[in-house]
Amino acid sequence: MGPLVVNEIISENTNLLLAFFIGIGFGFVLEQAGFSSSRKLAGMFYGYDTVVLKVFFTGAITAMLGLLFFSLFGWVDLNLVYVNETYLTSAILGGVIMGVGFIAGGFCPGTSFCGAAIGKLDAWMFIGGLFIGVFIFAEGFPLWEDLYMANFMGYPRISEFFGLTEGITALFVILAAVAMFWVGEWAEKKFPREEY
Amino acid sequence: MNKITYTPRVITAAVILILGFIIAAVPKNTTTPFKLTPNQILNELKNGNQYLEPDMIAQMIVEKNPSLQLIDVRPQSEFEKFSLPGAINIPIDNILSPEYTDILHQDVMTNVFYANGTTHANEAWMLVRQLGYLNNYVLRGGLNYWAETIMNPQHPANTSPDDELARYDFRMGASQALGGGALTTSAPADAPSASLPKPKPQGKKKKVAGGCS
Repeated sequence: MGPLVVNEIISENTNLLLAFFIGIGFGFVLEQAGFSSSRKLAGMFYGYDTVVLKVFFTGAITAMLGLLFFSLFGWVDLNLVYVNETYLTSAILGGVIMGVGFIAGGFCPGTSFCGAAIGKLDAWMFIGGLFIGVFIFAEGFPLWEDLYMANFMGYPRISEFFGLTEGITALFVILAAVAMFWVGEWAEKKFPREEY
Repeated sequence: MNKITYTPRVITAAVILILGFIIAAVPKNTTTPFKLTPNQILNELKNGNQYLEPDMIAQMIVEKNPSLQLIDVRPQSEFEKFSLPGAINIPIDNILSPEYTDILHQDVMTNVFYANGTTHANEAWMLVRQLGYLNNYVLRGGLNYWAETIMNPQHPANTSPDDELARYDFRMGASQALGGGALTTSAPADAPSASLPKPKPQGKKKKVAGGCS
């Protein structure tokens, strides 16, 4: 049955409409979880608030389990689901840059728009910086094109990379997530802050 | 150790863990929808792998081969006027009807579609091929060719190779056994059929995988 667009059950436009509503839901959850405060994200790095980790990993695990069970029931064909291509060097470098941006700016791109929507000036500043970064990257692309394209790995899935079944991989991810949640809760008790 | 309290987050973690163990334990789903690309379909049509020869079908009918399932895709009225022995009628319009899924989607029988020509049989074959069903074939040439080759075989020239004569003898025999018109022949009914293609082993026979199976 699924993916709905690939199997032409819904049109490209209906897909965009669905994406619009899901996007609103995503924004609502971000705001409702308190992500429009830059202290929330910074708290992740100082250990006094790990809700960012918990929300995003819970979301990822829910989607993962949902897809695997849908596949098990024959509702979605996982072979037709788009997987991002992996450029290993860019992925590592991008991760580092994004991480620095998280601490320095207190937002990730999604939460900055959340903050901007409720009128936070630091969020607007963050978005301004985001566009400056995009501009520099695009205009200077020839300079870092080789680096950007280095170590292309195709469209790997973790399960294929390690030669495990998808179910076993999912279990490992879940175990890792629960362990991280536990460490996170422990850190919140260890490095508490009264007000933030 | 702290006493475990059943807060929502503990319950959520437990549920996720249980689901994780379930998904790790179940085998991967292999019944994902099956789709051939247009190019693959075209290639298979070009190669003609779906065709089975009338001689082979005739032999299977005479031998009452239990794995043969002839499927007449013509309308019911035509089916009632004439059909091959043992054939069932699935008009092409009803081929996707759920009541026939068990017949078309299986790995035991050799399904052979036929109609007057090959067009409708090929349509049926393409549909079930696209659905991923195995063991479905098309009678080469349809009933018209069947009548020509099996029911009213032409005697080959006397200078023909032996296997053509043998095939003719077989066709005469099959024709008699199946009620064809040419009864005035002197050829023995149990004509040798050495030159005939043996029915291919069809379908995925379950391989013995290990000692326990």
